[in-house]
Amino acid sequence: MKRSRVGALHPAWAAVLVILPVLCGLAALCIGRISYPIADIWNVLTAHFTGIEPDKQMGIVIWSIRMPRVLLAALVGAGLSVAGCAFQSLFANPLATPDTLGVASGTSFGAALALLLGCGLLGVQAIAFAFGILAVTLTWLSAAGKGRGLSSVVLGGIMIGSLFSSLVSLVKFTADTETQLPAITYWLMGSLANAGFSSLKWGAPFIIAGIAVLFVLRWQLNVLPLGEDEAKSLGSNIRLLRIVTIICATAVTASSVAMCGQVGWVGLLIPHICRMAFGTNHRALIPASVSLGAAFLIIVDTLARSISAAEIPISVLTAIIGAPFFIVLMRRSRGWQI
Amino acid sequence: MKLAVKEGCFGYRDGTQILDHVNFEAESGDLIAVLGPNGAGKTTMLRCTLGFLRWTSGESTLDGRPIRTIPARELWQTIAYVPQARNFSSAATAEETVLLGRNAHLSVFSQPKQSDVDFTHALMERLHILPLAKKSCSEMSGGELQMVLIARALAAEPKILVLDEPESNLDFRNQLIVLETMSDLARQGITVIFNTHYPDHALRRSNKALLLHKRGKALFGETHRIVTEENIRNAFHVRTVIGEIETDERIYRSILPLELAGEAVEMAPDEDRIATVSIILPDDAQAEQVNAILHEYSRFLVGRMGLPYRKAGVHIINVTLDAPKAEITALTEALSRLERCSVKATFAG
Repeated sequence: MKRSRVGALHPAWAAVLVILPVLCGLAALCIGRISYPIADIWNVLTAHFTGIEPDKQMGIVIWSIRMPRVLLAALVGAGLSVAGCAFQSLFANPLATPDTLGVASGTSFGAALALLLGCGLLGVQAIAFAFGILAVTLTWLSAAGKGRGLSSVVLGGIMIGSLFSSLVSLVKFTADTETQLPAITYWLMGSLANAGFSSLKWGAPFIIAGIAVLFVLRWQLNVLPLGEDEAKSLGSNIRLLRIVTIICATAVTASSVAMCGQVGWVGLLIPHICRMAFGTNHRALIPASVSLGAAFLIIVDTLARSISAAEIPISVLTAIIGAPFFIVLMRRSRGWQI
Repeated sequence: MKLAVKEGCFGYRDGTQILDHVNFEAESGDLIAVLGPNGAGKTTMLRCTLGFLRWTSGESTLDGRPIRTIPARELWQTIAYVPQARNFSSAATAEETVLLGRNAHLSVFSQPKQSDVDFTHALMERLHILPLAKKSCSEMSGGELQMVLIARALAAEPKILVLDEPESNLDFRNQLIVLETMSDLARQGITVIFNTHYPDHALRRSNKALLLHKRGKALFGETHRIVTEENIRNAFHVRTVIGEIETDERIYRSILPLELAGEAVEMAPDEDRIATVSIILPDDAQAEQVNAILHEYSRFLVGRMGLPYRKAGVHIINVTLDAPKAEITALTEALSRLERCSVKATFAG
């Protein structure tokens, strides 16, 4: 009998989704102020195994500058899309993302506060995470009363988001104008320029762990958007599932924000593109979001650092590329649904 | 499997009592209708029964064990719940939705296996909804969605099925499809409990009924003893007449609302009547079931005649009873629920 994979990805698609971010990553390694042919990239990457010593300058550019940046883009892109996907299901709301729920603002405030206090990257992440959890909890409490309506969640998120935005301003106001203020401001705009293996070492594990847990739970996540009674009657421990989802999605967001500031749009754009392409089943949605999110941010970051002499803030580009693309997709397909 | 509620009370903190000393028992093969006017707490009753809400006092038990002490996985492999379709919004396809019903049989980290998918497809085939497999729930008609939700519940292979207003907002034909499915399940030995706005459906389908009143009072018993003109008037404040519609094979009872009514009046007690009940069965095997039912009414029996008519392959039974009209109605109702059994009662003038 023919195998039928209800809701899961077709193997051919799965293969495409595995290869796509890898290809984007390789292309991104080639492109930059100095362009290298793909063969050189290959030599550099395999130098360790083949023993052939590549050009020294090329080795440094690829290994120390471009590679961490590509990896960071892939991780943040994948993480933010999965987080967006999880938040949308959790709130049964197509507009729920780390940005709209106030999580991004909360983590930004936490991170800014930590920078002000002079914490290291791990401290920045921990405080960012704590404030992310606080923000999402406040949003939940303010909106998830009896009528867990579409607009009330987003309204709650906007309120909490603006609350934390003003707190960020307060942090900026008190920051030292010579050293801390530029650091905080520059970092808030969102940039992957500071990527390096030392910061990846501290940030990547949280993003990877968050994605991994959500990936393993992908079948269970289908229960999330259902009503509480319904979810319970399907034998799920819905409370625990919600808490785990919030922790994972917030940890991913907090780590991303701590490493490269606020990168908007990814969490809204990618999950919905995936829904339109692969349906609403999380068995397909989570892996597809990981793959397309990674590929998308690698492409956008490569553009950000290579289309003009001065680097363009990445959030500017995600919006400029993302918004029109998304609108076209939305008008063509059946619109957005969870 | 016996699902029971003992002395279930539920009220809000401000003191409004919604449910007051609800008692009922549901056993295998029971088809139980929960009736009551809007706001009488039908949905609340189901939610308390299943443990979604906490009874303020009293408890629900499954084979004597309090429901709240049963581990979730075990409980939801036994009981399945079909929520009101109008609160359901999902863009998932029918097969994805039904497959989700296997969840109680899967561990947290696992994915549904091929056997689960095959089971799902077979179930959908049986309920005649396989053609909907790839259709999104958000594009379905009310009737289609209701059947998909029933299929999702049945995918858990439950012994008890609880439905919240399964036939509301459906047209004639779809109501019948849903009700017929419920009757079939009950005949297969599954306990079916459903909320309904239609006393007619209770009368026609259920063997037991729970009638909820606005101020918390609840009546439970065999349908023909609960769904009476008097009780309906008390609960709904509507004067009704329960009439009979006759086809060649059978007499169907139906309830017709006449006018709004105030507080109820006591009705005169039933006098004994003499009646002959004629039964035609399609095969001898069913004769045993009929005998078992007749046995319960033996104290009213005056005379009895059985005639297996082998040439036509039918079995004919005639019984004469001297009993209150309610008892005679009860007997014909019980017999009517047998498959392909023709039953009619003729009363002496």
